[in-house]
Amino acid sequence: MLMREKNIFKIILLLFIVFLMSCATAKDTSYHDPNMDFAAIKTVAVMPFENFSRDNLAADRVRDVFINMLLSTGEVYVIPTGEVSRGVVLVGITNPSAPSAEEIVKFTGIVKADAVITGAVKEYETVRSGTTSANVISMSLIMLEARTGKIVWTASSTKGGINTLDRLFGGGGEPMNDITEKAVNELINTFFK
Amino acid sequence: MLLLGYFFFACLICLSGCAGSAPKTALIIAGSEPELALTVDSPDYRAEGLAVAVLPIQNLSGAPAPLKEIKQSLIYKLQKNGFRTIDDKVLERFMTFHRIRYTGGIDADVAQALRDETKADAVLITSLELYDDKYPPKIALISRLVSAGDKPAILWMGNAGLAGDDSAGILGLSLIEEAGDLQEKALNTLFRDLSERRSGKSERGYSQYKKKYLPKISYRSPVMIPDRKYTVAVLPFINESSRKNAGDIVALHFVRQLREAGNFEVIEPGIVRQELLGLRIIMEGGMSVANASLVLGILDADLVLSGRVMDYQDYQGTEGSPQVDFSVTVIERKSLETVWSSKSYNRGDDGVYFFDRGRINTAHAITSEMTRAVVELMANE
Repeated sequence: MLMREKNIFKIILLLFIVFLMSCATAKDTSYHDPNMDFAAIKTVAVMPFENFSRDNLAADRVRDVFINMLLSTGEVYVIPTGEVSRGVVLVGITNPSAPSAEEIVKFTGIVKADAVITGAVKEYETVRSGTTSANVISMSLIMLEARTGKIVWTASSTKGGINTLDRLFGGGGEPMNDITEKAVNELINTFFK
Repeated sequence: MLLLGYFFFACLICLSGCAGSAPKTALIIAGSEPELALTVDSPDYRAEGLAVAVLPIQNLSGAPAPLKEIKQSLIYKLQKNGFRTIDDKVLERFMTFHRIRYTGGIDADVAQALRDETKADAVLITSLELYDDKYPPKIALISRLVSAGDKPAILWMGNAGLAGDDSAGILGLSLIEEAGDLQEKALNTLFRDLSERRSGKSERGYSQYKKKYLPKISYRSPVMIPDRKYTVAVLPFINESSRKNAGDIVALHFVRQLREAGNFEVIEPGIVRQELLGLRIIMEGGMSVANASLVLGILDADLVLSGRVMDYQDYQGTEGSPQVDFSVTVIERKSLETVWSSKSYNRGDDGVYFFDRGRINTAHAITSEMTRAVVELMANE
């Protein structure tokens, strides 16, 4: 009888530990410059993203979603992509996804932006494990202040991939567009935090 | 010496004769009754015997298609619907003389010349978006009637996108297996719409948009006033998809849906194209504010609509699903700011769970629904 009670107690303890683990939040990987007044940022320019994935269009796709989601918050105005391209050409920025501080200062003067956002798409593909496959996206963003070209905010996000349920029951994971939106949404939330 | 004198005198007479002829012509034109441009509301538009020049079909399908046969069918159907058509040879001579190669639109100069030289009242511009004669056949067309004259305006615009297995029926009895039959059905759909609009039976070929086709992300600036009538210039979209001409196709869908919405006056795409060429505008990376300002000023438009197509996929055979993904940006003239921005993506089998009910088989039909949802939201949000 005592042995049986002990076993029940062990099971309850195990379940409790699992429950507690599930409540644990992911480590916050974002950075906010404590001296920066983010409320003063009204207009941003989103530079073309760096693409480290195998999909040639991944960076453009993610940038497209990010610009639309940032605009739809109604908090920040995003300069049209054509205007960004014009600014890049006028300043002569050789690598728009990683501009120097001087380039940022000149560029924001032309396009009249308070900040510049650069980004990188690290993964944008379907991952496989055995017979299971799922889409995954991993991206990071950096915000640079207009006057000094200093980094004031960074964040990264990874969404999708194969989870335990996928492994057990199969299924192709979530559509790429959905996980892209989730990842971008998470990043925007960290910005407004 | 005397001969040289005579020759010089004759030259002088000849030159003075030439100089006099121009003002004479100008006087005749100034003295004649000014011909009013055809509009949707003018009685001439609804009258029998409207003279229409049918331009050769613009092939946006990226594949070979029986363009001449489709054009002949269009002419036949126009005549059957009470239109007069300009003789093909006359139109060919006109196009050769004016060196017209682009048949996807018409600019003001050509429209005026067409009216003066061929006596056409309007011009029918048709773009073939998709033609697939393999089983099940697929066809998609966008057609518009534009008034001839110095201010070409879109009088009517219709589209038809069909697949042979759109409505298979019980035991597949309603399947359309021949491309010719499907083409006939598509043209009948177009002309039914045209005749209903002309006769005033239906004002708008519009039904409520379906929620699943709404843009997934959208932004609307408070600068944009709902229910105000705006003049819009639709620019070709940047095409990042693997489908040839997808940028032009999505832009045409927007032209059609904006016209239908009623809140927008859409500038004929041929005029927009001509101005873009004239200003040597290259939209690398999208529309810049400087270019937008220039285009809006020249075209006297309130809004400029452009965008980017990321996916535009049709499929061959019976297995598959079409897929469309695009984003739209609208810049306003006064503020020179983005007043609308949205991102839309859909598949033909979105929201389809039982027996393929509600399934869409062509990218054309999905784009039509998606653009309609964007425009409705833009106009009335």
